[in-house]
Amino acid sequence: MERGRLTPLGWAALILGALIMVTPLLWTILLSLKDNAELVGNSGAALSAPYTLENYGAIFGNNRTMRWLLNSAIVSLGTTAGVLVLASLAGYGFARLDFPFRRTLFVIVLLGLAVPSQAIILPQHQLFAWLHLHNSYPGLILPGLIGPFGVFFMTTYMRGIPRELDEAAKLDGASRWTIFWKVILPLTIPAQSTLAVFTFLGTWNDYWWPLISATHSDMYTLTVGLAAAQMNYAQTSGLGFLMAQAVFASVPIFIVYVVFQKQIVSAMAGTAVR
Amino acid sequence: MRKRPRLIPLSRFSRERKGPAKREGEGLYRRLRKTLTSHRFAAGPSSPAKGGRGGAALLLGFVLLLAGCGQGDGRTHLYLQRFFGECGAEFEASIDVARAEGECGIMTSMINRFNAQNPDIRVDVNVVAWPGYPQLTAQMAARDPPDLVTMHAGVISDYAAKGLLEPVEPYLDRAGIKADGFTEASRLGVTMEGRIYGLPWDTHGGLFHVNTALFAKAGLMRGGKPVLPNSAEELIAQARQFQARTGKPYLIQSNVADPAYAARNQYTYMMAQGASVFPDSRHIRLDTPEGRRVAAFFRRINEERLGTLNMDTPAAIAAFMSGEGGIYPTGTWMIGSFQKEATTPGRPLYGSYAVFPYPRLWGQRVEFVGGHAWAVPARERSAKQKEAIARFFRFMAAHNFDWARTGHIPAFKAVLDDPAFKALPHRGDIALLGEIGRPLPSHVRRQSAIEGLVGEEMAAAVTGQKPVERALKDAERRVNELLGELD
Repeated sequence: MERGRLTPLGWAALILGALIMVTPLLWTILLSLKDNAELVGNSGAALSAPYTLENYGAIFGNNRTMRWLLNSAIVSLGTTAGVLVLASLAGYGFARLDFPFRRTLFVIVLLGLAVPSQAIILPQHQLFAWLHLHNSYPGLILPGLIGPFGVFFMTTYMRGIPRELDEAAKLDGASRWTIFWKVILPLTIPAQSTLAVFTFLGTWNDYWWPLISATHSDMYTLTVGLAAAQMNYAQTSGLGFLMAQAVFASVPIFIVYVVFQKQIVSAMAGTAVR
Repeated sequence: MRKRPRLIPLSRFSRERKGPAKREGEGLYRRLRKTLTSHRFAAGPSSPAKGGRGGAALLLGFVLLLAGCGQGDGRTHLYLQRFFGECGAEFEASIDVARAEGECGIMTSMINRFNAQNPDIRVDVNVVAWPGYPQLTAQMAARDPPDLVTMHAGVISDYAAKGLLEPVEPYLDRAGIKADGFTEASRLGVTMEGRIYGLPWDTHGGLFHVNTALFAKAGLMRGGKPVLPNSAEELIAQARQFQARTGKPYLIQSNVADPAYAARNQYTYMMAQGASVFPDSRHIRLDTPEGRRVAAFFRRINEERLGTLNMDTPAAIAAFMSGEGGIYPTGTWMIGSFQKEATTPGRPLYGSYAVFPYPRLWGQRVEFVGGHAWAVPARERSAKQKEAIARFFRFMAAHNFDWARTGHIPAFKAVLDDPAFKALPHRGDIALLGEIGRPLPSHVRRQSAIEGLVGEEMAAAVTGQKPVERALKDAERRVNELLGELD
């Protein structure tokens, strides 16, 4: 939408919407800067001084917080890298190669979109137990690599790339791998960025699988670690700390959003897929 | 040519039962740097393809680095799993149990002290998100449970019935702990079919937290103590008097999103009337004259607006602390917070706080309670580990008084009768809970889920969303369906 075309009413609506969106965030930040004891009796105390950083101090004072942060980074980056590799290869295969049962296999992959992770959690947990992969990075990363959405996404994107490019490369003597690596893959960077952002965010925020797979605290991801650090009744007697945890856990996500907001917006608008 | 990282079996990345001792710390980054340098991962060209390979190698470097360290310090390691939160920032190095505060602080200091006093044993602590049972169950499924775990008494039956917990009599014997030294409430909480499945650690249950300033204004103080009712009708009469004189509700209630509150009331006052709420392991009986009497009574309180109606737990706590009502029925765990308010000048509750077990309204004085215990999940253990567990039990039993400073009722009669315990604020008034407290029968499994179902239906009944009889019938049906599905 062009800036000049916004009417005053439109501006007012936008500002109102922005305020509605940002108020919970501001409220969270204000609560995180207050003494827990002060908030127990009256959370409205968040609107007035004094403010303190002691809740953030408690987070950083826990010597495992940085470990959990590192774990989250490794798992999220590992999963993202794996998904990009697998989805690109599979997408290329489905989009460009002819092989028996291609359509059937693609339908099976798509059916994977309809299976909620909760439905397979028990056999998945058993499988990882048999493989002795719980409390390990592969144990946290591997389930995330099963990404039918990524395969579907990359297949759709690659189908939109003109086949003439492949044929031209073939005429120049390029092998199938060279075509994929040097011709097709560079053209999928926008889709890769979008898929990477969504995979990273989804993995970073994941709670359920790390909760039951990473049962030793040195293998917790940030979401599980911060939840474990909460005392009972945190929502009443530790509200400030709870909110500081929420802010702390959100910072990396916030950074990802700021850096990749163009890709996220284009993905949301559906323009990443041609 | 770029050096390729060697392929390593996936199982090599697994980190089974290793203590955290040497896996963290300042050496991490130095080792990481060395790893990166030796593999020349850091100097890759910038093309997308090559950069991707470098990224994968970098990730592998991290994985190798973090997976490759172990223990081997000659000590006997016990792997302990607990909830109560993480407070390493404040208590990581503390061994002064007497100066520690709060559940987390006292627990952390005690374990630190045990480690300090037992140099041949190392208790490695794993803190889990409350209540920790999804993780414990997952660990058991993976045949990798901890050696010691904090467990609510109401959950013991679920694990013990499947043979997932060890009976602890051998450890108690070795530690010189006699089961007849437990309070009745604690002993019942850890006993199932005649076997003891945990070292009881405390008893917790509902209490009437009282604003004595408002009670004085209402004319409900005698000899410096609040006058609590001795029957249902007396409670209604006192509540009306309170409301008329103070203009505030007699009861502050958390009826919203707090099924434990409604369930606690229902269980307590049905038990008091002698009702058998769980006649066998497959059935609950709520739609009885006793059950209807309790539900109808609390509904009447709400219909007469003698209690708050639309509060969740945080709102109810804030209301009580702000002096917005006479009594807040909630658990032992809030004593510390309320006492702090009561001793802070300028706060609405300053100098105006007292606390007592639920009063008798019908029948005998009995109250539904829960408790914490140290349980020992079943698994292979060395003789040294078994000895270490016994020593841990002995240590924890000897420090039960310290834990009682949290507000929970001690699990040992000797501590309950100890003048030092009674000298703690309000403990003389609430010690009775150790005698009158009754957990649900040990044959009842899925107690936590059942509490949720019962609480949900009873909250609907007492707030007028459902007729009492229908809510009781619905609760019975839902619970019986749940129990019927168990193995």
